[in-house]
Amino acid sequence: MGAVPASRDVTSYGMGLAAPLALFFLLFFVAPLLQLFWLSLHNDTAGLHWGLGQYLHFLTDPFSLSVLGSTLLLGAEVTAVCLVLGFPIAWLYQRVGPKLQTIIILIVLLPLLTSVVVRTFAWIVILGRQGIINATLQSLGIIDTPLKLLYTQFGVVIALAQVQMPLMTLPLITALGRIDPNLDDASCSLGAGSWRTFFRIVLPLSLPGVIAGCTLTYAAAITAFITQSLVGGGQMLFMPMYLYQQASTLQNWPFAAAISIIFLLAVLAVVSVFTTLGRMSRGYGGA
Amino acid sequence: MILNRRSLMTTALTLGAMKAFPGLSFAQARPLVFATFTGSWEEAHKAVLVPAFRKANADAAMVLDPMLSVDQIAKVNAAKANPPIDVMLHDPGPALVAIGQDLVEPYPVEKSAYYKDLISEAQEPMGPAPFFQVVGLTYNPEAVKTPPTSWADLWKPEFKGRVGITNLNSTLGTGWLVEIAKMRGGSEANVDPAFKALEELKPNLAAVAANPGALATLFQQGQIDISPGNFNAIQILKARGVPVEFVAPKEGAIAFKTTIHIVKNSPNRELAFKLIEAALTPEVQTTLMNPPYLIVPTNSKVTMGGEIARVLAKDTAELKQKFVFQDWKKINEQRSAWIERFNREIKI
Repeated sequence: MGAVPASRDVTSYGMGLAAPLALFFLLFFVAPLLQLFWLSLHNDTAGLHWGLGQYLHFLTDPFSLSVLGSTLLLGAEVTAVCLVLGFPIAWLYQRVGPKLQTIIILIVLLPLLTSVVVRTFAWIVILGRQGIINATLQSLGIIDTPLKLLYTQFGVVIALAQVQMPLMTLPLITALGRIDPNLDDASCSLGAGSWRTFFRIVLPLSLPGVIAGCTLTYAAAITAFITQSLVGGGQMLFMPMYLYQQASTLQNWPFAAAISIIFLLAVLAVVSVFTTLGRMSRGYGGA
Repeated sequence: MILNRRSLMTTALTLGAMKAFPGLSFAQARPLVFATFTGSWEEAHKAVLVPAFRKANADAAMVLDPMLSVDQIAKVNAAKANPPIDVMLHDPGPALVAIGQDLVEPYPVEKSAYYKDLISEAQEPMGPAPFFQVVGLTYNPEAVKTPPTSWADLWKPEFKGRVGITNLNSTLGTGWLVEIAKMRGGSEANVDPAFKALEELKPNLAAVAANPGALATLFQQGQIDISPGNFNAIQILKARGVPVEFVAPKEGAIAFKTTIHIVKNSPNRELAFKLIEAALTPEVQTTLMNPPYLIVPTNSKVTMGGEIARVLAKDTAELKQKFVFQDWKKINEQRSAWIERFNREIKI
């Protein structure tokens, strides 16, 4: 199995094959998006008066900005947890026999085989007042009164990290699998210790996987409406819930549209930072 | 909820398509479409209301299309000239929105055989209320030995960290806030006292659930022991063996009218009227009052029985005396400001 040259551009195939998907996207993604944007440029809920009022309202309102900030921060925390916990699993995967590999991949994929709602409810059972964690700690005599885990930022981060973990682990497994194992040996034979080898060889070469994993996890974590609202509760407001509230309960579609556009731009900014890093790392990896 | 977002998108797209190709909206013969609510409502209507309607109308074709109130409004709004729904079901807030946006027809009161038998609060000329939803105190009888009697009991120090509420997205959350305001000298127009009271409730709050459904499940988890709750939601939990009880507080249980409306420009106007008539009959309402449905009837000819007679009211007179009806026209005026304020102030 020869290493695929990193410089081969997969997009250089004819565009014809992509046409059906492109058309689908144009019709069901770009068109609604444009309509959303058009709607957001109105100052009143009926959509009669043009103006930038909704954007001004959001961008000058400290509360709205704090919701945006806390959502982006939540994404960062979840991504960090996934990376720290996911990397060792991916690393391990490349170093065990085929039997263990099957088991690891099964464990990694298992969460994807159950619905997000089910996984989230499982976390409610685990984190609850009489949940598994509290019951165990209490029976061991470590705590007297149950800890408050559900409906906290900590709870949301932990639950989201588990729910989104496969999105981090799978790209990492692929990236680590592409690294030539001889490089490790070469590094060692040249006198580098295992930590030095890891930081100078393995980590830089796996960066494309890290970037891909981070982008996926980040995007999934900040938009995870179900997990955020069920584990976070009604008083912890993140952008998806804020949007839902404005669109559904208050029927204020222009403001909801403006929130979506701002959220979209904020996420695009974060993702483009990731992609830029990815491009830089590709140069690094190829060197 | 994903479904909801998706249907919002579909609606937006449909709106666009209708604008671009006006010819799309041609009239078409189709069965009567009744947009009921999802969950236990759908089950109840499928099992009781639909068969009763069919029997009375020579097996007329009809379809249940369960969806949330906001989706019903969005769908009808997207195709006002040829609406995809003939009969809508609404909570008080959305009902006023639908009426305000000119989406419903006045109910042909003079033609109706049952309208005059409804208790006066249920007689709404733009669409009568075939059912009530009732909100009172719900508690875990294993943890709370003396049953609570008043909304004020939620503030008792013994419930420190044991109280659950929902945010104002739901009818339940908003209605409860108004009731607390009234208890403290406020009204539908002034909920300041309620926000002050919420501030004092914070030490007791264990959870602010995102919706009434999530609130009810917290009893199952032992996360909360007492909360404002919907009578019907609690019956479902009770039937599943969860230790919960419902009690009407002495200030009065909050009653929401669930109103049923003929959609404007419906191609099935006559059948829509017949379906609503079926929902108002004492027979259908009596069946729906009995287990497992336990839906509170509005026809005064229905004799109250079972769990409803035990915990809510023995007859119409007692019902009128024990239930509190709220002015949702007033509530709707300021609801968005309250939601905003709740977002900002309630952090636990």
